[in-house]
Amino acid sequence: MRKNLFNVGALVRGMSTTFSYMFKKKPTVEYPSVKKQHAPRFHGLHELRRYADGKERCIGCELCAIACPANAITVIGAENSPEDRRSPGERFAARYEIDELRCIFCGLCEEACPTDAIVLTPRFEMADYRRGAFVYAKDRLLVPPEAGVGTPPDERPNGIPADLGGVFRAKDTVDIAEGYDATHRGHILKTQRRGLTLRQAKGDDGRPGEIE
Amino acid sequence: MSAAVPQTDPASHAELVTLSIDGVEVRVPKGTLLVEAAKTIHTDIPVYCYHEKLGPAGLCRICLVEIDGMPKLQIACNTVVADGMKVHTRNPRVDDGRRAILEFFLLNHPLDCPICDKGGECDLQDYAMAWGSGSSRMIDPKTSKPKAVDLGPTIVLDEERCIVCQRCVRFDQIITREESLRTEDRAVQTIIATATGKPYVSDFTGNVTELCPVGALTSKTYRFRSRPWDNHRTTTSCTQCSVGCRMHVDERGNTVLRTMSVPEDDALSDSWLCDRGRYNVGFVNDERRLTMPLLKQDGAWVQIDWADALDLWAEKIKAALAAGGPERIGAIGGGRLLNEEALLAAHLHRALGVENLDHRIGTQTLVHHGSFANHVDLENANTIITLGRPPSQLAPVLDLRIRKAVSRNGARLISAGDYAADSFVPETHVTTPAGLKDAIGANPGRVAMIWDGVFFEGGPELTAAMHDLPAATRVDRYVLPETPNGRGAEALGMIPRGAGLGTGAMFAAARDGKLDVLSILGANPVLRYPDRALAEDGLRATPFVVVTDLFLTETAEFANLVLPVCSAFEKSGTTTDLAGDVLPVVGSVRPPDGVLADGDLLVELAERLGVTLPMPDELEAKVRELVKTPPADGAVPAYVRATAAAPGGALRVIADAAIFTGGGTLAFDTAIRELHARPHARINPATARALALADGDPVNVAGDNGTTLYDLVVRVDERVAEGAVALLDGVVRAPLNALGRAPAVRLEKVPVTA
Repeated sequence: MRKNLFNVGALVRGMSTTFSYMFKKKPTVEYPSVKKQHAPRFHGLHELRRYADGKERCIGCELCAIACPANAITVIGAENSPEDRRSPGERFAARYEIDELRCIFCGLCEEACPTDAIVLTPRFEMADYRRGAFVYAKDRLLVPPEAGVGTPPDERPNGIPADLGGVFRAKDTVDIAEGYDATHRGHILKTQRRGLTLRQAKGDDGRPGEIE
Repeated sequence: MSAAVPQTDPASHAELVTLSIDGVEVRVPKGTLLVEAAKTIHTDIPVYCYHEKLGPAGLCRICLVEIDGMPKLQIACNTVVADGMKVHTRNPRVDDGRRAILEFFLLNHPLDCPICDKGGECDLQDYAMAWGSGSSRMIDPKTSKPKAVDLGPTIVLDEERCIVCQRCVRFDQIITREESLRTEDRAVQTIIATATGKPYVSDFTGNVTELCPVGALTSKTYRFRSRPWDNHRTTTSCTQCSVGCRMHVDERGNTVLRTMSVPEDDALSDSWLCDRGRYNVGFVNDERRLTMPLLKQDGAWVQIDWADALDLWAEKIKAALAAGGPERIGAIGGGRLLNEEALLAAHLHRALGVENLDHRIGTQTLVHHGSFANHVDLENANTIITLGRPPSQLAPVLDLRIRKAVSRNGARLISAGDYAADSFVPETHVTTPAGLKDAIGANPGRVAMIWDGVFFEGGPELTAAMHDLPAATRVDRYVLPETPNGRGAEALGMIPRGAGLGTGAMFAAARDGKLDVLSILGANPVLRYPDRALAEDGLRATPFVVVTDLFLTETAEFANLVLPVCSAFEKSGTTTDLAGDVLPVVGSVRPPDGVLADGDLLVELAERLGVTLPMPDELEAKVRELVKTPPADGAVPAYVRATAAAPGGALRVIADAAIFTGGGTLAFDTAIRELHARPHARINPATARALALADGDPVNVAGDNGTTLYDLVVRVDERVAEGAVALLDGVVRAPLNALGRAPAVRLEKVPVTA
């Protein structure tokens, strides 16, 4: 009997933990009507970016495809024609496809990209009823022309960047401190992409310098 | 080369020197280069300008090594081994030297590796990873040069990437001897350019893209299409001509992207490929490929089922056998098939009693002969005699052996008859028996005779000198088949025996209504048979013609039933080269859906006809046995090319060959349309003067049968006999065979319209 009475105390102590949460703010939100803020470096759906003049940043080099541990990326390159220039330099991606079902959202493609063309956005709502719908081609990955950011590398008359190193130093063309309004989801990115500054070395004037 | 010398042989023992490389004792023949000596102990010394087949140049200096007793680092590629030499290929001093050399190379190199076709298989990348410093001390802007210089119809040069190792220039000087490339300007401004300023045109241009250690020279057909790590590589034998070079096929996503030479293939290709073998791959994925059997009904093509098509074929053969016997059936082709398929075709027809079998669709007479002399024998010959159309156009890579034998081994080249060998080496062109006898001389040494297999009037008299050679003279005979596997098809039975009819006789018999079924297996006689009218009449008069081909060719247009088949990239088996060796063919891509190999068709047909074919495991041994058996002497219907003068101011016709001609795989390869041979009319300067024609003029060629070939280009060439005109055979637009068998033609200058 005495032992049972002692157990009532334990019960009260245990339930008090439960009841204490009843008066705290609930962590669950009414998704999808309410959405939570992501972690700053959340890895979601990819997008292919452009320069401010509308040219594609992607040069079809396939370094993302070879870096991808899940083999989710397929790139087929082609040669730019003078009449229809798609990217700075000689080469562009004629086909660019990511199988988002295979993708493990590790971001290595983003790391490998020499022109900052492929980036992972915080967007994660990709649900669909068809498997095929998860293979994202350029039509869904590429941002609209007006959403381009950064100046493209200077080009010589024969269509090749004058400073070829410039193509591959493209990272300094994005003013990261201010975020960028590059996409239709620009306002999200402004707040979300700050994580990039973690990799940022400060310049002499306090503004961000070149990424090492 | 050095490792091959047996060290136990006392004769060569005296010639060996002993040295130490990285502390390992090496014994190599006297005169060996250090870089080759190092290979015997599997020590690779980095090289750019040095190439096994091109020899040392001493331009790039990346191969620095330290040799004890020498104050400075030495280049391994141009240092000959000496007894007691102590060589260090890896130590801090050597690494430092290589780092300094690489820094020079990278001063102006654009480092656009992500978009460079060579990226991933680039020597500059590899060595920069191994010895490079990782960062540049260059503060001035890099030298800017044009990025995409169009060198010719096949090659694009990126001048910024070029490190001026001059491998391409030396290939052009040493191997092809065409001397069309050179370096221009000096120092940092040095560029590769054509010597004439005209486009870089050669039949071997593709090799320079492989030789280029960086991504400066790229192929137009492969530029930016793939990266090396995407490609799946298969090693097979080229089936474009009878040389059968070993080659790598790089495939991605079931598309053949490029073919590459096999550097170790010393026996056949000598590590080179001709441009036809390298670039003629686009047809495999052409959208005009046939994928369903086509039956002609009331003049229109109707797609039918495979089973129905094969049933129909079998029924027609059965009906012909029942109605008139096996002599009313014929089969043409086999020269473009694999050995196994040719054997099955011959076996199937012979089992039914059919003797009307022939693989020869052109002017060729006999290609399976007793000689098994190979390419290395040719290289070691002292006197090389070419007879008939030049090897450079029938077997291009074989021609490189001729150039090597003449330029490096001191052989003499004699061309006899209507055709000059045209091999970019000194040659003696003779047209008379006495001339040939003089040219051969009293002491010919080892003789190699290369013949295109076409009998011509006056041929036996011309070559009579060959019978007067000293008895001990070794004579190697080579016959160049017109079709890639002509020799194999002939050895395996696609040749008429006994009362059987040859191709021409079959067409004549068909025209006279004596043939019921004609099966044409991978051949295009309407374009290639010397008398087009006869071929067309024969096909038209035959009640049932079956053609197996990849495309709706000129011949297939005359068929009742067209069966789509695999290309050589889509099936595996063997092929026979001109030297009588059996070479493996390995499929690299899947055929389009619904397409079968010729062999599969024949197996299906045999089943329907109740014929038992050899089992697959017996085939290989049987092929080898037949190919290695010299033919029994027997009368083979011969085609004799007329060389008599044409009457009354008309010109007699000499048939020229060119590698980029044909109506099948070439005509349906649009990616290399620029390479398709432009039909020409080569005439002697005297003839040109008489007709008031100049080089480059457009002419029409009017034949004596009322046919005219339009818009050919005049080439004035003193090697063409007077009173003759050399016209290109096998061009779809201006088919020479439309003029008839032995035409006399007139040239009509095309009036220039303002």
